[in-house]
Amino acid sequence: MAMASSEHETMLERIWRWVKQSWMSIAFFVGFFLFWEFSISLFNIPLYILTPPSMIVTKAWADLPRLVSYTYITALETILGYVVAIVIAMPLGLAIAFSSILRRTVYPFFVMIEMVPKIAFAPLFISWLGFGLLPKVIIVFLVCFFPIVLNAILAFSSLSEELQRFSRSTGAGVWRTFTKVRLPAALPQCFVGLKYAGLNATVGAAIAEFIGSDQGLGFYIQITTGNMRPELAFAGIFFLTGIGLVLFGIITLAEKLLIPWHISVRQAPA
Amino acid sequence: MTSLIEIQGLSKTYGAGSSAVHAFGPMSLDIDEGEFISFLGPSGCGKSTLMLMIAGLLEASEGSICLGGKEVLGPQTDIGIMFQDNTLVPWRSVRGNIDLQLEMRGIPARTRREHVTSLLKSVALEDFADRYPFELSGGMQQRAAFCQAMVHDPKIVLLDEPLGKLDAMTREHIRTDLQRLWMLTRPTVVFVTHSIEEAVQLSSKVALITPRPGKIASVIDVGLPFPRNQKVKGSTEFVGLVRHIHEIFHGYGVI
Repeated sequence: MAMASSEHETMLERIWRWVKQSWMSIAFFVGFFLFWEFSISLFNIPLYILTPPSMIVTKAWADLPRLVSYTYITALETILGYVVAIVIAMPLGLAIAFSSILRRTVYPFFVMIEMVPKIAFAPLFISWLGFGLLPKVIIVFLVCFFPIVLNAILAFSSLSEELQRFSRSTGAGVWRTFTKVRLPAALPQCFVGLKYAGLNATVGAAIAEFIGSDQGLGFYIQITTGNMRPELAFAGIFFLTGIGLVLFGIITLAEKLLIPWHISVRQAPA
Repeated sequence: MTSLIEIQGLSKTYGAGSSAVHAFGPMSLDIDEGEFISFLGPSGCGKSTLMLMIAGLLEASEGSICLGGKEVLGPQTDIGIMFQDNTLVPWRSVRGNIDLQLEMRGIPARTRREHVTSLLKSVALEDFADRYPFELSGGMQQRAAFCQAMVHDPKIVLLDEPLGKLDAMTREHIRTDLQRLWMLTRPTVVFVTHSIEEAVQLSSKVALITPRPGKIASVIDVGLPFPRNQKVKGSTEFVGLVRHIHEIFHGYGVI
């Protein structure tokens, strides 16, 4: 009992500390939405241009079934594209880092492709593969693949000279050196790519849906905007943001679990 | 009697042709078992290069090195090395880092638990076994790195400026520890430094290395008794030897 109550207290204390630390960010956030809410009537903005946040909430609530089913579709495209990108890019990055042939052939090619805005391929993929799930997954994949693979190459080829020498001096084989030294040393840089790709994954999905689809949040945002229903377009944007937040949350959690020792995790901005 | 470490006509040249840089040598030197020898010289004279070649981590351009009668042709796994930047990994605790040396050699860490504990005790780190490197001061990190280099009981120990990045007071303190530990088991130590006082305090022999390309100018026997405590360090012999070496380097235009 005593334990439970003390735990309860520390929980309260924790919340209180969080409020004390971040009240300014919270106040600014709340202030922003209040300003938005009242500026509509204050500046006489017509409702077909912009609606107050309160109206977004009520209208979104009325259209919730559609929003939820579209969120499911867009989330599916995002996650599939992202996961396939990880599954292909990580081993490929590793292979490129250790193969001089791949580093001279595939690597420069990838660096060049990285300059191309992948989104520009979206209309082509839609025309080749139609309106279905596949072209969207491919576009999310393209958006995510390059930052992941390029950061993985960097991660696996930048072990400090000192640690390389240390590993050689122990006589450890390739596999043991990899699992005990190379892989953990490479993880922080790998996460740089994974986070960057995670932030852009929903962008890829939304734009692919703008170009050609009959469902999903991108489609929803486009249609409702066309119908002069900005409140529903905003609802779509918020749900899209939600997908991005959940994805980023999962990556950040994985980072905390896998590299709790790294400075980016230890000194995360409050 | 043959020496434990025999260096014959060793030299190192980086690059080839007109852009080749002659970094080091040629030099020959024999180091006896149980010796504490310092390579003392200005930065850039190839002290670290020499150490890496003894460890078999860098190929010699010419000449040869033999450890215990066997020629060095690749990485030597039965020696202990402390590199200029310590090789503590940030994802392991102090104990985990020492265990890493064992695990890399295929020795299960749990079979050496007590050995690691006593090693940590010998450098006063037993209360920090579960701390991570970033939680330690520079001096403590170097002590942990020392344990990492020593945990597999090497007969030959190579220390490349292990105290180079520490403040003067911490250096002084760790020198004393280092000497005490060396006196316990008397491994053969090759110690790279650019501090004259440090070399004289710690070593049984000091090899003076000239500026680039590094060559051995002379090997000085330090006949002072161990441990070289404050009393020995204040003696006229100690002070005289430090001044003598100082003058030699002054002659090279280094100091």
